[in-house]
Amino acid sequence: MRKAFRFVLDLFTQRHGIVAFVFFMLLGMLMREAPNPVRESIVTSVLGSVFYPAQVALSSLKEYRSVAEENERLKEENARLRQELYHASEGLEELARLHTLVRFDDKWDFPIVTARVVGHNPGRFLTTLVVNRGTYHGVKENMPVFSTKGLVGKVTKSSFAHSRVQLLSDPNLKLSVMERRTRVVGFLESADGHMLSAMVPTHAGVKEGDTLITSGLGGIFPKGIPVGVVKEVRRADLDVMRSLDVAPFQDIPMLEEVFIMQKDPEWVIQELLDE
Amino acid sequence: MSKWLKAFVLFLLSFVLQTTVADWISMFGVAPDFVIIFVVAVAIKRGPASGCFWGFLAGFAQDVYAPVEWLGAHAISMTLIGFLVGQLEERFLTLNFPTKVGVLGLAFFVCDMVYFFFTGLEGEAVTNLFLKETLPECAYTLFVGGLVFYLSMGKPAKHAK
Repeated sequence: MRKAFRFVLDLFTQRHGIVAFVFFMLLGMLMREAPNPVRESIVTSVLGSVFYPAQVALSSLKEYRSVAEENERLKEENARLRQELYHASEGLEELARLHTLVRFDDKWDFPIVTARVVGHNPGRFLTTLVVNRGTYHGVKENMPVFSTKGLVGKVTKSSFAHSRVQLLSDPNLKLSVMERRTRVVGFLESADGHMLSAMVPTHAGVKEGDTLITSGLGGIFPKGIPVGVVKEVRRADLDVMRSLDVAPFQDIPMLEEVFIMQKDPEWVIQELLDE
Repeated sequence: MSKWLKAFVLFLLSFVLQTTVADWISMFGVAPDFVIIFVVAVAIKRGPASGCFWGFLAGFAQDVYAPVEWLGAHAISMTLIGFLVGQLEERFLTLNFPTKVGVLGLAFFVCDMVYFFFTGLEGEAVTNLFLKETLPECAYTLFVGGLVFYLSMGKPAKHAK
C-alpha cells in the first residue's frame, strides 16, 4: 500500500509535473464537458459541505468584530428614529388616505425574508452570492432578491439553511426592464459576467441618466424594482435598437444584507401553453 | 510545519484576503487578485507539480461561485498557470525579484485569456474586459504581489542557485 502511494506520489512530483498537469487538465476538461445536472450537483455538494460552513465561520468572525461599532451606531440611530417615528405615523395616515384615493396596486405586498450574505466568489468576476436563508425560512428558487438600493438578482438554488443567489452580472440571467421616463420595455443582461447592458428600441429616445426598473414581465420580478441608471447609449448591431451601458444601483461587492421577496413565479406563458 | 500544511494555510489565507481585504482596498472597483499571487508564488517556490495541484484547487474554488455553465474554466486556467510558472522557474530562469514580478504579470494575462477562451467570451466583450478589468487589476496585483514577494520570498529557491 505504501509502495503504491509512493509510486503515485513520484508520478506527480517527478518528471517536472507533467503527469500532474495532464491529470488536472483532464479533470478540468471533464467538468467543462459534463452535462448541466452533473455540474449543478458538483457545485451544490461542494458548496454545502465545504464552502458554506467555512464562509459562515469567517462571516461570524467579521460580524463579531463589528458588533461593538454597530451598537454605538444603533444607539444614535435609535434616538433619531424615535423622533422620526412621530412624523412617520402622520405620514402613514396620509398614505392610507392616498391609497384609497388612487386605488394603489398592492402587488408588492409579499412577505420579505432578510438574509445575510455569507459568501461570494473569491475571484474577480462576481456572479453568485450565498445567503444564510434557505427552505427552512421559506426561501424557494426563483424568488427575487433585492437590497435597499435596488435589484440584486434571484434565488437559483435553495438548500435547507442557505441559498445561492444569481446576480444581475451572471450572463445567464436575462431580465425584462422598463425605462421609467419613457416606459419603453427592453431586456437587460451581462454579456461578459461583469458589465450590464440593455437593449431598447431606438425610437424610445432613452438618454444617459435615465432609470431602469423591472418591467414585471417574465413572471419572476414584480414591476417597479429599481435596477440601475443608464451610463451610455450606443448604436446596436441593428439600427432599430440602442444598446445601453447600465450602472446598477447596488454595488454588489459591498452587499452585507439582502431581502428575499417570498413571491412565487407567475408562469403566465407556461399556463397559456398548458391550456 | 510541513510544506503541504504551510501551503494549505497560505491557500486559505489567500481566499480570506480575496473575500475581505480585496474589497476594502479596492480603488474605483479595481482590486488585486490574491489567489493568483498565491498560485504563482507556490509554483515558483515548489515547482510545476505543486503549482498544478494548488492552481487546480484555487481555480475549482472560484468555479464553485461562477455560473454553473462555466464550471471548470477557472480550474483549467489556474492549473495551466501553476504548470507554466513552475516550468519557467525550474528550467529556464533564475528568478530574482523583478523576474518574479514579471512572471506574475505574464501569468495574470495568460490566466485571463485562457479563462475568456473557455467561457466562450469573444469579440467586444473580451476587449472591454481586457481594457477595463484585466489591465488595471493586473497593475494592482503586480504592486501587491511585488510587496508579497519582497517580504516573503526574498531568498532564492534552493535549486535556482
